[in-house]
Amino acid sequence: MSGIGPVEPGEGTRARHTGPPEDPYAPYDSATPDDQCAPRDPHSAHHARHPLAPAPPFRHRSPAARLHARLRARPRGLLRTRPGGRPRRTLLTAAVLAALLTCGGLLYAAREQRPPHPAPPLPAPPYPSQVVDVSYLDPAATPPGAPPGSFSFALLVSVESGPPVTVTALDQPYAGLSLTSAPRPPFRTAAGTARKIVITMHVMECGKVPENAGLPFLDVTLRNIRAMEVQSFILGSRYAHALSEALQVACGNVSR
Amino acid sequence: MQGKGLTVRQRSLIAITAALAAGALTLTACGSRDGDKDSGSGDGGGGTTVTIGVDAPLTGDLSALGLGIKNSADLAVKTANKKNYVKGVTFKLEARDDQAQPSSGQQNAVTFVSDKSVLGVVGPLNSSVAESMQKVFDDAKLVEVSPANTGPSLTQGPDWRTKKVRQHPSYFRTATTDAIQGPFAAQYVYNDAKKKKVFVIDDKKTYGAGLAGTFTEEFKKLGGQVVGTEHINPDTKDFSAVATKVKNSGADVVYYGGEYPQAGPLSKQIKAAGAKIPLVGGDGINDATYAKLAGPSAAGDLATSVGAPVEKLDSAKQFVSDYKAAGYKEEYAAYGGYSYDSAWAIIEAVKKVVDDNGGKLPDDARAKVTEAMAKVSFDGVTGKVSFDEFGDATNKQLTVYKVDNGAFVPVKSGTFTG
Repeated sequence: MSGIGPVEPGEGTRARHTGPPEDPYAPYDSATPDDQCAPRDPHSAHHARHPLAPAPPFRHRSPAARLHARLRARPRGLLRTRPGGRPRRTLLTAAVLAALLTCGGLLYAAREQRPPHPAPPLPAPPYPSQVVDVSYLDPAATPPGAPPGSFSFALLVSVESGPPVTVTALDQPYAGLSLTSAPRPPFRTAAGTARKIVITMHVMECGKVPENAGLPFLDVTLRNIRAMEVQSFILGSRYAHALSEALQVACGNVSR
Repeated sequence: MQGKGLTVRQRSLIAITAALAAGALTLTACGSRDGDKDSGSGDGGGGTTVTIGVDAPLTGDLSALGLGIKNSADLAVKTANKKNYVKGVTFKLEARDDQAQPSSGQQNAVTFVSDKSVLGVVGPLNSSVAESMQKVFDDAKLVEVSPANTGPSLTQGPDWRTKKVRQHPSYFRTATTDAIQGPFAAQYVYNDAKKKKVFVIDDKKTYGAGLAGTFTEEFKKLGGQVVGTEHINPDTKDFSAVATKVKNSGADVVYYGGEYPQAGPLSKQIKAAGAKIPLVGGDGINDATYAKLAGPSAAGDLATSVGAPVEKLDSAKQFVSDYKAAGYKEEYAAYGGYSYDSAWAIIEAVKKVVDDNGGKLPDDARAKVTEAMAKVSFDGVTGKVSFDEFGDATNKQLTVYKVDNGAFVPVKSGTFTG
């Protein structure tokens, strides 16, 4: 038996496994989890790397003699072989299970000790001006009771995403006009929804209104849980034309 | 008995070997997770190299803006390569200096066209330079995305006020146009700042004259009065004669169509002449250099600029952070976010073309990229990035800035929803 050749049941096999299989109850001596789960037979490892290295002396003892010697040397206690001669297979199986449980527990403990991955911070809600759209729809019927020189437009207020947005004020920039709306501010719009509103303008002084503004806008005060902002919404050429026509009608009946 | 003992031993050995193997596998599995997480490559996917050109003024008076454009496009390229965003494609940036001169820009366009690896160009800064480049690119079907051109005629034709006609199918831009910027400024000056008499000055260039024109038109419609107009020579810095005219005009505000290298000294000399009135300009003066050139008397001067303030754009935070981390020496300046988005639009178009062609670039890649650009849509640094039928940005936001303590600070923003 030289240690060279196929591993077969018999001497060769026995010779390569003189550690844990034959002494599964030896106390762990390593402090680190990895070491505790590593092969415990230095000779076995040595042979795996150097098959021609001299075998340790006890390899030449017979299996029965080695078992007898080991049983005599084993400390008495809970883990010793039972007096009734319980088969070694049972003990070995228990040992393997214990080793697996220990390794598993140590791995689990090691994982728990890793620094936890920090949870990604929640993104701040968007500024209301970045998620609100105010667009012009068309002329609308002037509400009953509106004073002469009034006209109305329908607008669509929509919120794309984020928390609900409240419109707290609507205004237009021209000195000769006043503006009201239905619904009256404040009104709230949820994300993913849109609401139609009607603004009504009243001409107070025709000399202070633009006759033909190219890109008139509305100032809308928006508020959500992040900020309150005044945003100008430039409603485009259709709104500009509609506003100019309405102003010409409203001011056409008075001398300017 | 011996035979049975050997069998028991053998089984034990097998069981222990299996247990150790299972343990080893468990350890291996546990250990591989972190390794996998850190295994991302910062390199591109290799294979084909696609060049993205940049044309901007990298030297001269406007280099503060031009270098911000170049760096921001470079950041987009690096980000795409790091993410391996287009499988099998590594992007490369090639920047050329146009010195804000149309002739240089045109020469750069010819050079880009001759390089077959170039599939898109970011730039230029100046509308006048863009005019000289558009046809060269269009003939080669090479897509061009400007982050800064605001002249309406570049996309909508010379008669854009009455009849909009797409001029060059290969030309796109992420900035909004002076068709909105000029009137937006006029509305603010007239209604919010309550200025009724304006003296209008421009530098006779495509951008400056065009912006002054759209401002003037709206200011008059609102009822404002234009009490004087002048053109300056952008090659000089002595504006004392114009400053005297402004003082004598009785204007309560000056509107200047042009860029900060001239606007700063102009503002300073107008105040020095005794006219303590604000100067208002467009995105061309919205740079930190303006306040330095204009001096302390520039407090209260105004500038409109494209887009919302960066601090209001959550989408811009990553860009700002990445730009800082990349260690660029120059600021990203007024068009940084738009430049990143312009470059990324090209990257998105290339990705679309590659994906549609089985993972490879087709032979007519330039034409396909130009075609894909019209349908590009993504959430960029400046918000949603997409283009309308003229190649103009669909995201039309503007902001008014005021000089306060030597720097422009935002005072009001507007959104075009027409």
